[in-house]
Amino acid sequence: MVSLEQLKEHQTVRTEPVPESQALVDVRHLNLWYGPKQALYGISVRFPKNQVTAIIGPSGCGKSTLLRSLNRMNDLVPGVRVEGEVLYEGVNIYDPRVDPVAVRRHIGMVFQKPNPFPKTIFENVAFGLRLMGVKGSELEDRVVEALKRAALWEEVKDRFKKESGLRLSGGQQQRLCIARAIAVEPPLLLMDEPTSALDPIATQAIEDLILELKKRYTVVIVTHNMQQAARVSDRTLFMHLGVLVEEGPTEVLFTKPKHPYTEAYITGRFG
Amino acid sequence: MNRTLTPSPESFAQDPWKARIDRVFARALVLPLLLALGLLALLLGDTLYRSVSVQVVRADMGPGHTYPFGLSAEAILRQELLAQGYTEEEADFMLQDPKERSALFLQNRVELMWNTHEGPFRYVVTNVYDKRVADFSLAEGLRRWNELKANLQEGERLVLNPWLDQTFLTRPPSRSPLTAGIGVAVWGTVWVLSLALLLAIPVGVGTAILLEEYLREGRLSRLLEVNLRNLAGVPSIVYGLLGLALFVRGMGLGPSVLAAALTLGLLGIPVIVVTAREALRAVPESMRLAAFALGATRRQVVFRVVVPAALPGMVTGVILSAARLIGEAAPLLLVGAAAYVPFAPTGPLSQYTVIPVQIYLWISQNQPEFARVAAAGILVMLLLLSVLYLLALYLRNRFRREW
Ligand SMILES: Nc1ncnc2c1ncn2[C@@H]1O[C@H](COP(=O)(O)OP(=O)(O)OP(=O)(O)O)[C@@H](O)[C@H]1O
Ligand SMILES: [Mg+2]
Repeated sequence: MVSLEQLKEHQTVRTEPVPESQALVDVRHLNLWYGPKQALYGISVRFPKNQVTAIIGPSGCGKSTLLRSLNRMNDLVPGVRVEGEVLYEGVNIYDPRVDPVAVRRHIGMVFQKPNPFPKTIFENVAFGLRLMGVKGSELEDRVVEALKRAALWEEVKDRFKKESGLRLSGGQQQRLCIARAIAVEPPLLLMDEPTSALDPIATQAIEDLILELKKRYTVVIVTHNMQQAARVSDRTLFMHLGVLVEEGPTEVLFTKPKHPYTEAYITGRFG
Repeated sequence: MNRTLTPSPESFAQDPWKARIDRVFARALVLPLLLALGLLALLLGDTLYRSVSVQVVRADMGPGHTYPFGLSAEAILRQELLAQGYTEEEADFMLQDPKERSALFLQNRVELMWNTHEGPFRYVVTNVYDKRVADFSLAEGLRRWNELKANLQEGERLVLNPWLDQTFLTRPPSRSPLTAGIGVAVWGTVWVLSLALLLAIPVGVGTAILLEEYLREGRLSRLLEVNLRNLAGVPSIVYGLLGLALFVRGMGLGPSVLAAALTLGLLGIPVIVVTAREALRAVPESMRLAAFALGATRRQVVFRVVVPAALPGMVTGVILSAARLIGEAAPLLLVGAAAYVPFAPTGPLSQYTVIPVQIYLWISQNQPEFARVAAAGILVMLLLLSVLYLLALYLRNRFRREW
């Protein structure tokens, strides 16, 4: 349907671009290779503060790769190479003087499959806080606070110190992972298809949670579910073959897409 | 044959032959397992049977002397030697020379007697000459019990001898099967195994962590991996040769607990590395990613998430390798566990013997009762192994519950 050669030269179609002053994260000309294989082609995009940005696109287009390059999780993949800049609050996180561990303490991440540690619910949520040296009653308060904000508290309050995180249902586990990520109050939360393994009710709970989180945090969410993108996000990026094809406010992108590929994808006519 | 997709009652009918073949096949798969279990049960039963016998014995105590309560065994032995006509120098020399000393303690049993005709609480020294008059297998002995009993001579008695009794576990070895015990060998095994694990666990687990969590797919990792697999396959007697050259002679440790522990430690490392790596590999990658995403350093990921999650598997591996080490006789025969040792080790440089070596020595004796003593020894070893496996089970469950 489209050749990579054509796409590589493509200039991202932008509607109402985010002004620099409102951007929490500013990605500039990001290229990324897994060994010899290039996965991202010259991505430039801004993620606005206190808003939810959705990333959509066909499988293998580089959504997860882009998300992981925002908190340097890609560094863990052997043979990865990155060019370009990712400015977080104006600081290029790929600057050689930057410690990726410090970056990840500022940026939370929730994965596609719930991955609680084989520890108690309490210890799961306390993990990041303990890394920051939080102890005693403050630790306890912040764990409870995070469980409440992740809408899990009511279900686990009488057993959260004893029960293993692995004993929870899939939806509860994912909310536990969200609680674990937000316990350290990261200004930016990255979510990679957080509801793809969940039933509609659990999905609903997590979407509500995202709308709630938006008040305090900036969220970037990868999703295959276009209704979900439409429901929770303020802005949407559409990617294809490692290229950012189009970005703009969610309603605009879904109702008046400018690029023919975007339109084909959101109307379900995409190859 | 009708292969249309329209369902008919026939298309759901069971093929009796297929079902039968399935059943036969399933049974055929279970058969070897049952066979193995049956053989094991047979072996255990046979050992149990051999460890009990019916005996006619005469206790020939030799000249015995009593000594006041409170004297040390050594002081008593010294007086006994003087009474036998040795000079003081000779007696002291014999007690200081380890070989002489061992022989003396084997021949002269120093016991605490509670009720002697001279009053309670006296030490008695006896030259031990327990005599076997006859030894019968359990079946024959029980069958002929009354006949044997009727024919007993003066000073003889008929006993049902369960060789594995309480005192067998604590008695030192002896030249007489009637007084031989496994106490010294049990303590030797405890000492050697503990020290061996003290070496093998940190090195083995550390290597596994290095390979699995730090080096991963590197060239060094592959090199180490190949070597480890080869090491795990090296016959244990080769480790014995290595231990003899390196520890006994090279480092001048002699036939000591420490030399044996170092040798067995080396032998245990590859198994521990392999099982610990498997336990680490079983921890899903998503756990590591979750910890990294929370801003953990590699060290924090490894020691706060991966190792705790892998601990049950690692513990099992360590216990399995300990079980293997307990049964090793070959390498220890080379590094000096062969001699009769009358005392339990008191430190890393003590002389020692271990259970399998003791069993081996008993079996190679020509008095037939030593086969019974060996059977009792084998039972002790099996008991010890069972305790280890139960410990493994308990620890696994405990760690599970803490998750
Ligand atoms: N660890 C890796 N090593 C090598 N190549 C990778 C790796 N991860 C991803 N890729 C490649 O990079 C490209 C983008 O992958 P990515 O996972 O970002 O896609 P995605 O848009 O998230 O897909 P999906 O919707 O299926 O999750 C793919 O072609 C994939 O094969
Ligand atoms: Mg993905």
